[in-house]
Amino acid sequence: MIRLALPKGRNLGVALDAFRAAGVALEGLELKDRRLRIEFPEDDLEVLLLKDWDLPLYVEYGIADCGVVGSDVLEEVDGDLLIPARFREGQCRLSLIGREGGLPGAGEQVRLASKYPLTARKLLADRPWGAEVLKLNGSVELGPLLDLAEVALDIVQTGQTLRDNGLVELETVRAVQPCLVVNRSAYQLHRAELNRWIDRFEAAEVVE
Amino acid sequence: MKVSAALPTGVAALFFDSARRHRELEDKLVGQLRESGFSEVILPVVDYLEPYEAMLSGSVARDELYRFVDRDGEVLALRADFTPMLARLIAPRLAALELPLHLFYRGDVLRYQEEHAGRLRETYQLGAEVLGLPGEDGERLALERFLELLATGERRRLMVVLGFAGALDRLLLERAGDVAPKGSKRNVDASALAAAVMRRERSAVRRAGDALLQVVEHGVPDDPGELGAEAAARLERLEALARELAEAFPQVDLRLDLAEFADQTLARGLASGAGPRTYYDGLVFRAFAGAAAEPVGGGGRYDAMFQRLGAGVTASGFSLSLDRLMGREGGWEIRRECAR
Repeated sequence: MIRLALPKGRNLGVALDAFRAAGVALEGLELKDRRLRIEFPEDDLEVLLLKDWDLPLYVEYGIADCGVVGSDVLEEVDGDLLIPARFREGQCRLSLIGREGGLPGAGEQVRLASKYPLTARKLLADRPWGAEVLKLNGSVELGPLLDLAEVALDIVQTGQTLRDNGLVELETVRAVQPCLVVNRSAYQLHRAELNRWIDRFEAAEVVE
Repeated sequence: MKVSAALPTGVAALFFDSARRHRELEDKLVGQLRESGFSEVILPVVDYLEPYEAMLSGSVARDELYRFVDRDGEVLALRADFTPMLARLIAPRLAALELPLHLFYRGDVLRYQEEHAGRLRETYQLGAEVLGLPGEDGERLALERFLELLATGERRRLMVVLGFAGALDRLLLERAGDVAPKGSKRNVDASALAAAVMRRERSAVRRAGDALLQVVEHGVPDDPGELGAEAAARLERLEALARELAEAFPQVDLRLDLAEFADQTLARGLASGAGPRTYYDGLVFRAFAGAAAEPVGGGGRYDAMFQRLGAGVTASGFSLSLDRLMGREGGWEIRRECAR
């Protein structure tokens, strides 16, 4: 039996749609499911419902064999995981946001708010401007809105929250998408089954 | 005065039963190596940064080294890998020594790692090296001893993945041009392709053709000839060795997977690309215990390291992390008769 970790956040719907399109029913599992651990004997699968940020650690430690998590989280946690598939749905972007015209100029030193301090520091390494990185845990848009920071690095999906708060996307840094991640050891053990899943994901055109 | 009992990130102290179990396991493994004719080498924990740093190339990233300036102005480094230190010290003495040599060592290695649960900065290693056995005999002996030591404990799952350095070089260099963006340097893209193969990124690898995709999916290509004649013959010999050792060590799950070692390249164009590469130039192996993704040990052949030191000798070896073997995730339980 494979143990699959699914994220409780924005990517759960994407993951459920993809697995169901690939013929893995996950019967009864819902977006608002409050269970933490659910067995699906008919799919030969056990699902763990985890927070996005915890999921890579569970997979790296082999508590789960594989999981679905955003590439933004993967980049920030810097774990040693295999990424055999990237999902088409649920794509968004990691962007610098702030007030109109607020992208710092060369030589400027500003404050940058983000849930992704490690990613932010890597980003700053090749910028002509510098920043003190402020780690926030949520509502990152408030940083530039209330002048805690001049810019923020955060996920943008539709941009509606930004528009509603008088902020703009200053620069798209990179695309972000949900990924299937697999533990290196589990990949060796469950290679055939995982390859079958990915074949079916590809046939259903839910992965790149 | 109140004194804190906290330790720096990534280091641990063992007390009571943990310490006893650690030493019992170490004694057991050391006993086996001695019985097999291996002699102990005791190496210092501090070395000059030069030339140690240059020899670490690939096994330990520059920013993982603990470096400091001694009071007399010498730049020193804490031991981050035994093998290059042993090679540098023994290469000038080889002419006076009778080959083959069977050596083992044990002790701490220190590598700076970003804070990450489960990643230790100080780990206790036990390793062994075989120098001067002709042909592929040294590789085989090192692998056999490695499997013997691993098989000492009782665990839920023990897997050793085998490959060899340079196995995918031809495919990576040939196919990288097919997926490289226009105007980009071919060798850099071959390195990026190697990284995608290691991460088993099917969509990125598919554009590079069926053979690499088969390696990602199944560990080896359907037609070994795609690797080139030399690598195909090497793969055939490795498959035969794996079959033989699988019978001798039924408690270990032996698998061939060339994708796992796609970064172990011998091609210059690839080696200059992004990411570290290790110093192996022949057989490479890596062991996983329990479910954890972090290997408990590994090894391979590294003749080129001695060649760089002016010594033409074959060299193969391995190391095991006792911390990971003892860890809960490794599921290692030393045999009862040994624990008494």
